Amino acid sequence: MRGIRARLTLTLIALVVLTTLVLGLGSYLFVDQSLHERFRDDAAAQARVDFQVLIPSRNLPPNPTRTDLEELGLLAAFRQRPDTDTIVDIGDGDPTVAAFLGRFSARLLALVESGELAYEWTSVTGRPELVVAGRLPPAGPAFYFVHDASSIEQALATLRIALTAGGIVLALVAVLAARWVARGVLLPVDAAARAAERIERGDLGARVPVASRDEFGDWAERFNRMADTLQDTISRLEAAQAQNRRFVSDVSHELRTPLTALVAEASILREHLDALPPDARRTGELLVADVARLRTLVDELMELSRFDAAAERVALEPVDLGSLVRRIAATRAPDADVAVPDAPLVVRTEPRRLERIVSNLVDNAAEHAPGSPVQVRVRSRAPWAYVEVLDRGPGVPAERLDRIFDRFYKVDPSRTGGSSGLGLAIAAEHAAVLGGDLRAFNRAEGGLRIALRLPVTEPLPGREAAATGGYDRGPPIPSTQESPS
Amino acid sequence: MDGNILLVEDDPSIREVTAIGLRTAGFDVTTAADGQEGLERFRGAPFDLLLLDVMLPRMDGLELCRAVRRTSTVPIVMLTARGDTIDVVVGLEAGADDYVKKPFEVPELVARVRAALRRVQREAAEPDRLRLGALTIDTAGRTVERDGRDIALTRTEFDLLVELTRRPGQVMTRDILLDRVWGYDYMGDSRLVDVAMQRLRAKIERDPSSPELVLTVRGAGYKSVR
Repeated sequence: MRGIRARLTLTLIALVVLTTLVLGLGSYLFVDQSLHERFRDDAAAQARVDFQVLIPSRNLPPNPTRTDLEELGLLAAFRQRPDTDTIVDIGDGDPTVAAFLGRFSARLLALVESGELAYEWTSVTGRPELVVAGRLPPAGPAFYFVHDASSIEQALATLRIALTAGGIVLALVAVLAARWVARGVLLPVDAAARAAERIERGDLGARVPVASRDEFGDWAERFNRMADTLQDTISRLEAAQAQNRRFVSDVSHELRTPLTALVAEASILREHLDALPPDARRTGELLVADVARLRTLVDELMELSRFDAAAERVALEPVDLGSLVRRIAATRAPDADVAVPDAPLVVRTEPRRLERIVSNLVDNAAEHAPGSPVQVRVRSRAPWAYVEVLDRGPGVPAERLDRIFDRFYKVDPSRTGGSSGLGLAIAAEHAAVLGGDLRAFNRAEGGLRIALRLPVTEPLPGREAAATGGYDRGPPIPSTQESPS
Repeated sequence: MDGNILLVEDDPSIREVTAIGLRTAGFDVTTAADGQEGLERFRGAPFDLLLLDVMLPRMDGLELCRAVRRTSTVPIVMLTARGDTIDVVVGLEAGADDYVKKPFEVPELVARVRAALRRVQREAAEPDRLRLGALTIDTAGRTVERDGRDIALTRTEFDLLVELTRRPGQVMTRDILLDRVWGYDYMGDSRLVDVAMQRLRAKIERDPSSPELVLTVRGAGYKSVR
């Protein structure tokens, strides 16, 4: 954009300067020529009058001497003329006159010799001069009238100054005008750039002002129509998504009342299963188990719809990750092989969410790798702390690793295990709320490793400086006392 | 009879199955289908405990709870549809002693009801006068005074204060407090303790944001000052 502005400005300036130069130079040359011509014509007219009227009126004798000329008052008359010197060559070889004549061109002397009235621009005395010369017929004395032409040069000098000054002023005006014009031309481009920038930042209502009926105007209208369509589509998608989420939320809320009845009923039925005949008892057992499954599903749907409504509030507190994970594993997966660092690893987190994440991961491992030991590891690498759950199951095809955190995603759709397919999605949402994330990897030795990554916001053991994650850079709280949140 | 319970719940299935469960456990159960009916039944006969659904037609459970609290200290357990902290806070503010999250299993509900009833019976047993800072606590009269002025505490807040004051300087975990104050003998919701503690502090501390009487021990629980 700067390129176009600069090119436009430079082009306009160059045009103005070129025009100014051509016009200035042209008018200068024209004035120069006319001044010289007029000066020469005036001098020639004067000379003609001299030869035809003044000199004949003095009745010169043939072949007059310098004394004749002096006595008849002719030289005196010539001397009275301002800015004009008169040299008379009477053919007597006077050295002063000869020295003067030597400075004129041979062509002038030859023309005078042949009886023509001739002129020449020269500078015999060091200033610009016009020499007009002729001789009396048939072979009388030759008169050289030397006119001082300094006035022409002065006039031209003044003109040069005037033209230069004018040119500079014009060039300045051209610069300003060029910038103004360039700005005017590029104004719609700037406006469009600003509108595009606002759209980029998510302000879909941004539009380009349609200020003119030219190509830019057309373009702006087209741009705005595109933005309309974009805004329309996105708001439709958002509405559809919101509706979808509201539906899930409504469904799970509506399910809650019959589910509450079912859970209560099943809990009573369970106490009395032994009193039923075998078939009814088995059916009753299945019913109790299915109610439990339904309850899990509805609970998880509600949990997810709370994330969708962005209704999550977090209350972070400093926690030693190692001992917390050890505690969670002890209750949720007593058989798991747990490895945590000896030194405390303090993270700011919410223990309830962490428990939810870890138990979902452990449940997932237990489900997909039944019968094999589950490993839980805690480790740290600044600025992150990791909780990893490893199993010895079949793993997940590499191209589907990312998708296992999708809702209702099942690696093997034919499996209808006890899980809802929401456990990992929920764990991932909790991880995000805690400022971390979940990632899955296939282990080289077989099985799946899912890593929860959490920002470490307290000094790592053995370090002077606080290693902080990107989320909470507040200073570590030094004392064990705190006020309630 | 183990106790006389008023159950207010609008959904017929839940109402019936809950009543069956409570009766099987040995309680005497009176039911009501909305808040207004619940209030009338409460005024009509004495009850040992109230079980109130939060969402009720005509008069909701929280409003009913407040109305009952104006005249009675009978234990109240709320049945909440959501276990959100907000619901817990609002329930406790309305004067409830405990809450049970829906969906619930009947044995779980019975255990909570028994725990709430046990607390009432236990209270009469240990008359004592305790001091905590400027507070004087009379466990027989269930009153708390500061500078000769009564501070009105709910049953739960009072029990919590007494529990902490009896063991000055000793750290009480949330689980222990749940067990001692609410009578939970299984994993309960520790937010219940935090919410009740917050409300207790608002009443007994001069500056609730920097407590001087009951301190939080990070990552462990609470303790009263010596």
